[in-house]
Amino acid sequence: MRKYLLRRAAFGLSTLIGVSLIIFVVLRILPGDPLVAMFGLEGFAKLAPDDRARIMEDLGLSDPLPVQYARWMHDITTGSLGRSFFRGEKVSEIILHRGPLSAEIGLLAVLISWLVGLPVGIISAFRPNSLSDNVARSLSILFLAIPGFWLGMLIVLATLFWFNYKTPLVVVHLWQDPWANLQLIVGPAIVLGLGQGAYIARMARSCLLEVIREDYVRTARAKGLKEALVVMRHALPNALLPVITLSGILMGFVLGGSVAVEQAFGVPGLGRALVVAVIERDTIVVQNLVMLYAVIFVFINVAVDLSYAWLDPRIRYR
Amino acid sequence: MSRNADLDRRTFLKRVGAAGAGAVIASRLPAPDPASAQDATVKPDPSARRGGTLRFGVHTAPAHFDVHQSGTVANIGAQSPMYDYLIRRDPRDGQTIIPDLAQRWEISPDGKKYTFHLRRGVKFHDGADFTAEDVKATYERIASPPKGVVIPRTPLFSAVTDIVALDPYRIEFRLKEARPRPFMLGAFASGWNIIVRKKTLEDNAGNLRQVMAYPGTGPFRHVSRKDKEVWIMERNPDYWNKGLPYVDRLEVYHMPPFSPELGSALLTGKLDYGRLLDPVSWRKAKETPGMTAAEFPQSVIQAVFINNKKAPLGDPRVRRAMHLALDRHALVDVVRDVAPMLVGGFVYPFHELSTPAAELVSKRLGYQKDTKAAVQEAKRLMAEAGHAGGIKNLTFLVRDAATFKLWSVAIQAMLKETLNIETNLRTVQISQWFEEAAAGNFDLGISAIVSTLMDPSDYFSAWYGKDGPQNYSNWTNPAFHDLASQIEREVDDGRRKTMVRQAEEILEKDPPLLPVSYEKIYDAWHNKVRGQNPSTFFGIYDVVRWDTVWVTS
Repeated sequence: MRKYLLRRAAFGLSTLIGVSLIIFVVLRILPGDPLVAMFGLEGFAKLAPDDRARIMEDLGLSDPLPVQYARWMHDITTGSLGRSFFRGEKVSEIILHRGPLSAEIGLLAVLISWLVGLPVGIISAFRPNSLSDNVARSLSILFLAIPGFWLGMLIVLATLFWFNYKTPLVVVHLWQDPWANLQLIVGPAIVLGLGQGAYIARMARSCLLEVIREDYVRTARAKGLKEALVVMRHALPNALLPVITLSGILMGFVLGGSVAVEQAFGVPGLGRALVVAVIERDTIVVQNLVMLYAVIFVFINVAVDLSYAWLDPRIRYR
Repeated sequence: MSRNADLDRRTFLKRVGAAGAGAVIASRLPAPDPASAQDATVKPDPSARRGGTLRFGVHTAPAHFDVHQSGTVANIGAQSPMYDYLIRRDPRDGQTIIPDLAQRWEISPDGKKYTFHLRRGVKFHDGADFTAEDVKATYERIASPPKGVVIPRTPLFSAVTDIVALDPYRIEFRLKEARPRPFMLGAFASGWNIIVRKKTLEDNAGNLRQVMAYPGTGPFRHVSRKDKEVWIMERNPDYWNKGLPYVDRLEVYHMPPFSPELGSALLTGKLDYGRLLDPVSWRKAKETPGMTAAEFPQSVIQAVFINNKKAPLGDPRVRRAMHLALDRHALVDVVRDVAPMLVGGFVYPFHELSTPAAELVSKRLGYQKDTKAAVQEAKRLMAEAGHAGGIKNLTFLVRDAATFKLWSVAIQAMLKETLNIETNLRTVQISQWFEEAAAGNFDLGISAIVSTLMDPSDYFSAWYGKDGPQNYSNWTNPAFHDLASQIEREVDDGRRKTMVRQAEEILEKDPPLLPVSYEKIYDAWHNKVRGQNPSTFFGIYDVVRWDTVWVTS
């Protein structure tokens, strides 16, 4: 098991190094100039070439690329993650301030996806082609097809026009005001959770359909076990492995989707900070936030791999 | 018995006679000099309610904190309440220039000396006394910025040769040659030119980009700030204008302009006042009982630049033909749910020196609702230039924003249908647009450009000047440049107006760009906010201090 763990950790680390190189290079070759955001249209137009060069030097963007990359890696190891070009704020502070909100959204979305997806998948699998199965499948296809940000905008508009409601305008942490915090996270979490719940439902249904035809399920029924026990004790644990794998992958989609959904709901989380940083061409913030998302994604995948090995001993010994 | 009942016939006739004589004499007196505005310092309104919090939503967070170096409302909107100017635009009409930190001023008869008499007893938020040295340091920085500092307003003070502190409370600006008074006073009253401490500038090597809350003398003091969320200020109890401001606390929320997020925050009452609203939210606010909505012009032109260095676009006939082919009313309509716009030409259509908007729309080709005559003339010009069959494969550089994307498609269709000019759209991100435009990598390019002042002398050089920083078309016209130079120096308002009209004619015949429209600003507020109506304001850069605004609950 230790060998397996080390192998997965090494694989995760090499993935992260690759990701960091890609992020770094892409952000440097993309056209665009942070000075437009910094000086505004009029100010940017009036910048003399000398001044532009000097300011780019001050921002550290004139150094050779290997130097810039090494500086970034150093910042990551020290945990400071560098500072925003514009207001000089530490990226680590941005993450600490906004990260909890995005983390709550992600976790709640995963919870919702399981709470919605699993029961729907079970009902569909045990009553295939019934009315409830057809309704469940139609709904899951609907939620798969609807883009999260669009659904988010509809919810925002509906709550605005019908209930004259708008979420709080600033970050409110769970420990500061749980009710205001819940108002901030519940919308994006529902939208993201329903989308991912549709995947979970479909995967759970197909896995369960396979498993319930297995001999041991038939034996369990033949023993006279109640249907609920057959499902919960015999069928579901064996059908869950692919669902867990899928949840890990979906967590990545939740992270990616939260960028657009946070924007649609106007929630001041990390996703929104990333969008603003991209617009402002705040390279340091963008590269660190994208890297953070990559780290989380890789970490979840390694964790899923490990849980897989834990759930299925055959994997450990391969 | 009332006083009027005591008035006998003789007394009444005497008073009427005296009043009539006074009126006759007054009518013979010269029109009041702008200096008469000098005793018009804003006075506290006794009926205003004190206390409470004003929640103001405006624009996203500033990219840095140096107001002088900025060119966006992101700075002005959030930071202005903490600072004062030398002189200011009256917050009641947004136009009249009135005293601020300068109690009064004198202009020498030859127009080469501006002397400002400063208020005594004014203190910065850190407790330091305000003196002429602070004004001198501020304006020396603006007029000739130190190395590494770029201030868009520097050209406004290009005629200033010396700034002399005559004593702690008198400062004199000496000019190499006279400039029109409205231009110079407008430059001093610009909302960008906040007065900062000399020591602050010295301590930070003249660069305040990353200094968050440097002390001002303004009506509000910094309390706290959450990046990209909110900037919180409190009433300055030591403000020199006793009795102002009225509200105890000001919260400035950073929100994307023209966004549903800003609109919904206002409509649901999470904000008291919203600026830069999208048209849909603004119309909803206008219909909502208990809310008021206002619109006013902004100092921004939306335009298509034409690369004059590329044939056949250097030919004025081709450019005028394209200018005439645009149906500007349709273009304003195309974006009506995205951003509020106004038809206009080469000069701000709402400025006193330009051709009045009504005349422009009713009489001038290219601006009329019925485009038949303009299109006919455009076709004639294209034929005369040898392009009756049209032009193919023009690259149309489009800035990535909703308005520009909508317009580019409409303009593409207009040029194709009327003149058979075929364009290929290339949409790029904002910063890339400016890089490509500056490098001349385009045939046509659509974007917006701004100016500090509404006065033509500011933007004639920046937008249309031979080496103007915003002259992306690389346009030159010696006759225009000569005239613009004369306009910059002409101190007689009447002659200046005539010259601006002549300049307009040149620009119409030899267009440096294709004016698409002028931006309008949509504001709305809940009626509990009193003391502000921006309907007569010019732009959003001069009156953003909230010192005369109060909330009723």
